[in-house]
Amino acid sequence: MTAITTAQPTSTRFKPLTLLPLVLAILVFVVFQFMPFVNQPERGSTTLPVLTENRANNELELPTSGLILIPIAAGTLFLLGLWNLANEQIMRATSSMTALVGIIVLEYYVIFVMDYINKGATHLGSMGIAFWALLLLAIIMIAQTVLPRPRVEREFQLRSLLSNQESAIVIALVVLLLTVGISNPRFVSTNNILDVLQGNAYIAVAAIGMSMVIISGNIDISVGSLLGLLAIVSGRLVTSGAPVWVAWMAPLIVGPAIGAVIGFVIAYLRVPAIVVTLGMFSILKGILIIWTNGERVTDMPTEFFLAQMRPLGISMPIWFMIVLTILAAIWMRYSPVGRSFYAVGGNADAARLSGISQRRVIMQVFMLNGFFVGIASVLYATQLTIIQATPPPSLELFVITSAVVGGVSILGGKGTVIGAMLAAILLNTIRSGMIFINVSPFWIQAVQGILILITVLIDLLRRRRQAV
Amino acid sequence: MAVANEVTQQPIPQRSLRIWVQDKALSQVGILFIILIVTLAVLASSNDNFLTSQNLFNQGRLLAEVGLMALPMTFIIITGGIDLSVGSILGLSAILVGYLWDTVGLPLEIAVVLAVLVGCLAGFLNGLFIVRVNVPPLIMTLATLAFYRGLAQGISEARSVTGYPEWFFGLGQGNILGVPTQLWILFIAIIISAVLLARTTLGRTLYAIGNNKVGARFSGLPVERVTLLIYTFSGLMAGISGVIFVSRFTTTRSDMGSGLELDAIAAVVLGGTSIFGGKGSIIGTVIGLVMIQLLKNGLAINGITSDATIVVIGSILIFAILVNNLIQRLRKTE
Repeated sequence: MTAITTAQPTSTRFKPLTLLPLVLAILVFVVFQFMPFVNQPERGSTTLPVLTENRANNELELPTSGLILIPIAAGTLFLLGLWNLANEQIMRATSSMTALVGIIVLEYYVIFVMDYINKGATHLGSMGIAFWALLLLAIIMIAQTVLPRPRVEREFQLRSLLSNQESAIVIALVVLLLTVGISNPRFVSTNNILDVLQGNAYIAVAAIGMSMVIISGNIDISVGSLLGLLAIVSGRLVTSGAPVWVAWMAPLIVGPAIGAVIGFVIAYLRVPAIVVTLGMFSILKGILIIWTNGERVTDMPTEFFLAQMRPLGISMPIWFMIVLTILAAIWMRYSPVGRSFYAVGGNADAARLSGISQRRVIMQVFMLNGFFVGIASVLYATQLTIIQATPPPSLELFVITSAVVGGVSILGGKGTVIGAMLAAILLNTIRSGMIFINVSPFWIQAVQGILILITVLIDLLRRRRQAV
Repeated sequence: MAVANEVTQQPIPQRSLRIWVQDKALSQVGILFIILIVTLAVLASSNDNFLTSQNLFNQGRLLAEVGLMALPMTFIIITGGIDLSVGSILGLSAILVGYLWDTVGLPLEIAVVLAVLVGCLAGFLNGLFIVRVNVPPLIMTLATLAFYRGLAQGISEARSVTGYPEWFFGLGQGNILGVPTQLWILFIAIIISAVLLARTTLGRTLYAIGNNKVGARFSGLPVERVTLLIYTFSGLMAGISGVIFVSRFTTTRSDMGSGLELDAIAAVVLGGTSIFGGKGSIIGTVIGLVMIQLLKNGLAINGITSDATIVVIGSILIFAILVNNLIQRLRKTE
C-alpha cells in the first residue's frame, strides 16, 4: 500500500465519494437561504427586533435563533469527520465543513451589517478587518476543497501549502473566531483581536526560541523564571536612571549570556537539558525574589513603554511577533545553522558523522533562546505600568505547549517557528474567547486543558495517517 | 559488577572487600550518600536544633507528600517517561475530599476513598493515552497538568473547605508510636516500591522498557500493561498525598500541590535515576528526597530565606549530576 502510494499517487484517480462533504456543504447552504430569519427581515425576521433592542443597551448581540446552526454544522462536521477517518479524506471533509460554517456565518454577518446600515449604524467599522479576513479564509478553504491534489513533483502548490500543521491551526483559529463571534460579535471586532494579539505577543516570541530548542532535541523549563528576571533587569535599569535604550538592550545581552551558561553545562559537562533547566528554573526564580525582595518595579518613565507604542496604528508587540517569526522562519529554513538544528534534533549520530558539532549547536540554540526570551521580556516589561517581582506563573508550560501544539516534535528534528507562533496565538485566543462566551472563570483552565489535549490528539492522528 | 568481583577475587578476601567498598562508594547511590552525610554533618555542626528527633520527624512530615509521588515517578522515569501531572492530581484529590464531604454531603471516609480513586483514574487516563494513542508522556501529562488543575479550580470555585472532624487530622498531624503517621505510610510505600523494583519481574521489565522499548516488546514483555500500571500507580500515590495534604493543612484549596511535580522529579533525578530511562533505584530517590528536605530545613534554621534555598537546591541538582557524571566517566576510562 505504501509502496503503491509513493510510486503513483492515488489522488490522480477520481473518487466521487470524496465530493460528498462538499455537496452536503452546498446543500446545507442552499437550505439555509430559505430559512425565515435570514433573507426576509420584513417577514418576522428575528434579526431586527433583537438588533434594535440591543442597540438600546449598546450591545451588539446576534439573534439567538442563529445559534442553532452552529450545533447542526458542528454535528455534521463531527459525524463526517468520523466517517471520513475510515475513508482517508479527513482534510477534504474538514475543509468542506469549515467552509460551510464560514460561509453561513459570513452571510449572517453581511445581513447583519446591511440591517445595521439601513438602520443608520455607527459601530460598523469595528468589524472591518476581521470580516474581510474571514471572507478571504473561507474562499481559500473552498478553493482547497475544490482544487485537485498537487502532483508529487510540484510540491509548492496551494493544497500542500494548506495541508500542514500551520494551516490546521489557522483553520482551528478561524472556526474558533466564528463560533465565539456568532455568540458575541464583539469578540471578532478588530480592536479585540488586536488586543488579544498584543497582550500575548511576548508568549509567541518566547515560543520561537523554545521551538528552536525543542527542534534541536533539547528542552528549556526555565523560560518563565528567565523572562521574569530579565524583565526586572530592564525595569530596574530604567528606574535607576539608565537611558531607555540601555534598559531595552540589557535583556538581549543578559538573556543570551544565561543561555550560554545553560548551553555550556549541557554541551560540555553533559548534564541532560531537562535537569539543567529544571535547576535553572529554581536558581533564576530564587535570584529574582532575593534581588527584588518581592517588590515590584513601578514608576518607569513613559518613553520606556515600548509595547505601548503603535507605529502605523498597530502596536509594537505585534510588529515584533510578526517580523521575528518571519525572520526566524526564513533563517531556520535556509541558513546552514538553522538546518543544523534540525539535523542534530532529527538524528544526532548522523549529524555528527556529517560534520556538525553537536556542542556548538547546543550553545547556539540556548543562546538564541536567551535572545528571544530577552526580547519577550522587554515586551512583557513594557506592556503594563508595573513589573511583577515573580515570574509569570506557569509561563514555561504555555511556551512549551505552544511549540508542541504548533507541530514541533518533542523528540526533536521536526516543526517550524511559524507553527509555534500560530499555536501561541490560538491558545491565547481560546483563553480570551472563553471569557467572551461567559465560561465561568473557574472552569477556563479545565476547558483549556481539554482543548490542548484534543489539539494534540488530532495532530497525532493526522500525522499517523500521513505516515501511513 | 560487585558480584562479579566477589566471585573472581574469592581467594584474596581483603582485596575483594576493598574493591567492593570502592565500587559501592563510587556508585551513583554511594556518592549521593556521602554527599548526604557531609551535608548532614555540616548542618548539624552549624546548629544545635538541627539534629534533634523533634526536628527530623517534623521534616519527615513535610517530605511525605513529595516522597509518595517520587516513588512512582522513579518507576516512570526509569521507563523513559515522565509524569508532570502529579501535582495537579494531588490538588484534584484534595479538592474532592472537601467537595464530596462538605458540598455533596458524603461521609468523610467515603469522600477520602473516592478522592483517592479519582486520583487513580486520573493516572490511568494518562497511561491510557500514552499507551493506546502513543502520545509522548511529556505532552500528555503537560496537558493533564493544566486539565486536572483546571478541574480542581472548577469544582472548588475558589472556595476552601475547613472544619474537618478531629480524627481526620490524625493522618497528617498525628503520631503512631512516636513517629508521624504519614512517615509510616511513606516507609511502607518505600519498602514495597524498592522490592518491586529490585526483586520482581515487574521491576526488571521497567528497566527493560527504559533501555530498549522495542526490544522489551519483542522479548514478550507486557510493555503496554506495565506502562499503564505505573501511571495509574502514580495517580494513586498522588491521590493519597492529596488526602494527607488536606489533613496536614486542615483546609482545601485548589492551588494545593502546584509545583510539587518539579520537587518530585528533582528528588528522583538527584537520586541518580537517568532522565533518559533504564537506570535508577528507589534508595537513590529516597536519598535525593531526604537531601532536598534537609537542605531546605538546615538552611532555614541557619537563617537563610526560603528563596535563597531554592537557589541552593537548583545548584545542588545540577552539581550532583555533574559530579556524578564526571566520576562515572573517570571510572569508565580507568
